[in-house]
Amino acid sequence: MTSKEQIQKEIEQTLQSLDGAKRAEANPFLFTRIQARMNKKTSQWEERTFSFLSRPAIAFAIVVLVMVVNGWALWGSSGANEGLTADNTNVSELANEYNVVASVNNYDYENMTNE
Amino acid sequence: MINETELIEQLKLGDDAAFKTIVEQWQNMVYNTILGIVQNEAEAEDLAQDVFIKVFEKIATFKGDSKFSTWLYRIATTTALDHLRSKKRKKRFGFLQSLGGGGDEKDIVPDFHHPGVSLDNKERAAVLFKAIDALPENQKTAYTLHKLEGLSYRDVSEVLNTTVSAVESLMSRANQNLRKELEDYYNKHYR
Repeated sequence: MTSKEQIQKEIEQTLQSLDGAKRAEANPFLFTRIQARMNKKTSQWEERTFSFLSRPAIAFAIVVLVMVVNGWALWGSSGANEGLTADNTNVSELANEYNVVASVNNYDYENMTNE
Repeated sequence: MINETELIEQLKLGDDAAFKTIVEQWQNMVYNTILGIVQNEAEAEDLAQDVFIKVFEKIATFKGDSKFSTWLYRIATTTALDHLRSKKRKKRFGFLQSLGGGGDEKDIVPDFHHPGVSLDNKERAAVLFKAIDALPENQKTAYTLHKLEGLSYRDVSEVLNTTVSAVESLMSRANQNLRKELEDYYNKHYR
């Protein structure tokens, strides 16, 4: 057999060397390792969020934002009270017009008689 | 025993027990596929973990248009090939950094031994794996799925999202390239 034929034979045998190969088996603790990585990933995300929020510039911006929101809420509520007073006036006018009296204010507690 | 569709539905709801069952049921398939492509046991284990984490995170996108195993093979092969690409980029960068340091002798020596290959074929299989490593990505994937995972050409075509005739063509070119690589190897090393 010439060396060229020998080489061809080697090639054929090598190409067949994977025939009948069994499946490689994964680590039996693969799931445990996946779980550990997923938990680590979550805690890393929390850590990153916390470190982002605790940066001086971000923390200062959040404080300013909270103050602005509070100020806006206060301004908004005083505006709403003005509206409430006007509403009360309207209600009184309406009550007078239809001769409806708020009963509690007109009781004469001193001259009440037990019948 | 709970069936595949129910398992997937439970996983979509974030059920840990369903996830564990899925990992245990498909871990060898995923690991063996990745190992065939990256040819490194430690890297294959890390990548198998990556694949299952992706499965957990992306299960909502699985509509059931293909088989679950096909979807899993796609994630596994893509993850393995992405890893090889990034490794190649780092290697190229390292080469640029060490220019003038001489050739890398390690690349010539077949050093990967697949644990599923019989002892008689161990050395030959290592030579074949070295040749497989030199194949273009799509040929390497098709060859690995067919030879190591035992998938039919039809199943390979579903994983690669192509036709059966395209897979036949890929396999034919892969065999030609492997013969060429092996011929070069044996011309240098045959005593």
